[in-house]
Amino acid sequence: MSRLLLVSCASTALCALPALATEKGDILGTYADIAEAAYGDSLVAAEALGDAVAELLDAPSADTLATARQAWLRARIPYQQTEAFRFGNPIVDDWEGKVNAWPLDEGLMDYVDPSYGGATDENAYAALDVIANPTFTLSGEEIDATEITPALLRDTLHEADAVEANVATGYHAIEFLLWGQDLNGTEAGAGARPWTDYATGADCTHGNCDRRGEYLRSATTLLVDDLAWMADQWTAGGAAREAVLANEDAGIDAILTGMGSLSYGEQAGERMKLGILLNDPEEEHDCFSDNTHNSHYYDAMGIRNVYVGSYARIDGTVVSGPSLSELVAESDPDVDAALRADLDHTMAEMGRIKAVAEAGFSYDRMLARGNSDGEALITNAIDALIAQTRSIERAVVALGLDQIAFQGSESLDDPNAVFQ
Amino acid sequence: MKRSLFPLLIAFLAGPATAGVEDAIETYILPGYARLSEATETLANDAATDCTAEGLRPAYRDAFDAWARIGHLRIGPVEEQGRVLAIEFWPDVRGMADRTIAGLIADADPAVESEAGFAEVSVAGRGLMALDRLLNDEAYEGYGKESYTCDYVVAVARDLARMAFEIEAEWRDGYAETLASAGDAGNTTYLSEREVRQALFTALSSGLEFDAAQRLGRPLGTFERPRPERAEARRSGLSLALLVASLEGLRDFATALALDTPTETRAAFDRAIAAARDLDDPVFALVDDPQGRFEVEIVQQRIEAARQVAASEIGTALGVSAGFNAGDGD
Repeated sequence: MSRLLLVSCASTALCALPALATEKGDILGTYADIAEAAYGDSLVAAEALGDAVAELLDAPSADTLATARQAWLRARIPYQQTEAFRFGNPIVDDWEGKVNAWPLDEGLMDYVDPSYGGATDENAYAALDVIANPTFTLSGEEIDATEITPALLRDTLHEADAVEANVATGYHAIEFLLWGQDLNGTEAGAGARPWTDYATGADCTHGNCDRRGEYLRSATTLLVDDLAWMADQWTAGGAAREAVLANEDAGIDAILTGMGSLSYGEQAGERMKLGILLNDPEEEHDCFSDNTHNSHYYDAMGIRNVYVGSYARIDGTVVSGPSLSELVAESDPDVDAALRADLDHTMAEMGRIKAVAEAGFSYDRMLARGNSDGEALITNAIDALIAQTRSIERAVVALGLDQIAFQGSESLDDPNAVFQ
Repeated sequence: MKRSLFPLLIAFLAGPATAGVEDAIETYILPGYARLSEATETLANDAATDCTAEGLRPAYRDAFDAWARIGHLRIGPVEEQGRVLAIEFWPDVRGMADRTIAGLIADADPAVESEAGFAEVSVAGRGLMALDRLLNDEAYEGYGKESYTCDYVVAVARDLARMAFEIEAEWRDGYAETLASAGDAGNTTYLSEREVRQALFTALSSGLEFDAAQRLGRPLGTFERPRPERAEARRSGLSLALLVASLEGLRDFATALALDTPTETRAAFDRAIAAARDLDDPVFALVDDPQGRFEVEIVQQRIEAARQVAASEIGTALGVSAGFNAGDGD
């Protein structure tokens, strides 16, 4: 359900856009360089998470669990900045569900509190608890899960029974395995899984510690593999980079589509507004770890990165080059100035949420019914995201991309697989 | 005080392309919200007199029908204070409604006692979809006049009437003018008249997307795993009726928005509506059956076809393509 894009620009008459000093090919090169760097950083950080998980499982303790959690939090920082690539690039969008699927029915994986409930109308396997059950029936099929392997998670459990909330892999599955459920509702506190959930022998709590460890190791292995694959797609000659460079106008449109769809439908709507309207503490993106303020903050930063053509890597080096901002400024300096101001304003509002959350008033507490201060903080950020979306639409018009879009006979907007 | 629409007419005399916007507001949007106000007011009055499920169902159907005809308008007052989802919280992918409704009743939550208090309740416990359960689900529908559930139903109906009244008032006393004054100094919402055309065209296009991908796509599920239980308002038996009402509403909206009679678009809509009516299956239960599923998919394809025809016929004439909409993303 993405905005209309153009497929091709067969007739040059339709493509007669103003000649501009900033080369579109160079802008797309910057865009792909940022993607390569950000997915590369995500991979490095996920490998560090893998090392920390190995240490936790080799020598379970409060310290090794805390170190693994820290590694997870760090891994989120570069990854969230890649989300701006998702909606403009089908290769990313098709893959994304493996690594960042959310929201999830975590009872599929492990034990949950009785207040979680059981199977629902929407999901018969919401409380399957694979870690406690070596064999079970799934959609009429007998499943042997005596060994919890990456293949089992990827091929059998993930999106089991065609239910998207059956998330068996990715950051949020690992987050649940490291933190456990956050049972504090809209009160202070994150998930409090004891390190003894990974202890050996008689120290093991909640049963099946060895299977829980296998699950965590498999999920982390998969995350590393999946990120390595995506980082590779953006290197020279990689499929994602080639796709973006293949058609300059389509590539520029992909940047703007990714920015707008993430700003509006996904972040402002699905991830933020819904939480306020439901007063539900689980309606926060990183609900187990109470890291939602960071996940929103770095999403917004990723949107800004691709527009201004600059990304600060996790080792401090900066990847930058000719930017979309410069191109828009050549067409209409006012539109560019307004969009830059909007992106900066969003960063300021997100920064407020982050500061307040880190000071102790966590994102889930902001969602409580009748908490007007929390609601105002979140609403201001939502309004900023909506405002920047309008400016993104104006940039599309300033570049003449909408004219191509509606004059083209077909749209890239692949009308949903169901229509095929 | 109702504001005269006369100044609006004057303001719109700028150029030929504005005719569609003016028409859409006066012949479609404002009457549509007026009908929603009336229907929800009737619902609230009926509930105050007799809150039982049996007595309320006709007014409920009428209110839902009024909403389905304009639900695709995702601009202006309806976007304030979460009203869109407070009026109809659907789809509900995480089953929040059941949990929220059961929780309110189990706690006998006093939020139902005042309008202001109820307005703070989670959208999953409010609106038309809450009534879908309260009036039809066997766990609730037998409630008596002295019960908590009765008070709850009255609160939902009153909340709907309040929101509909506010939306209509805000359109008449402000937002219509915001559209009309696009491009004027001081109008920070619409910097040009073109942006208004795009916003309304986006509503048309995304409304059709919603009908195909959600109203039909959710019960269709996948071939291996159809999901009839996910049909909209299936407990009330209204799934098909709401789809048809939505398509009729979108057809009227498209006609008003277009500069000339959009004959191709209207024909495409008529084909989609005819195929939908032919389903003769109020809750899309037949998605479970290969032949039935095929028929539902045909409706879906015709809706998608109507969207494409509208883009080339109406979008081109208005000089716009669809912008971002709330359905972008997951």
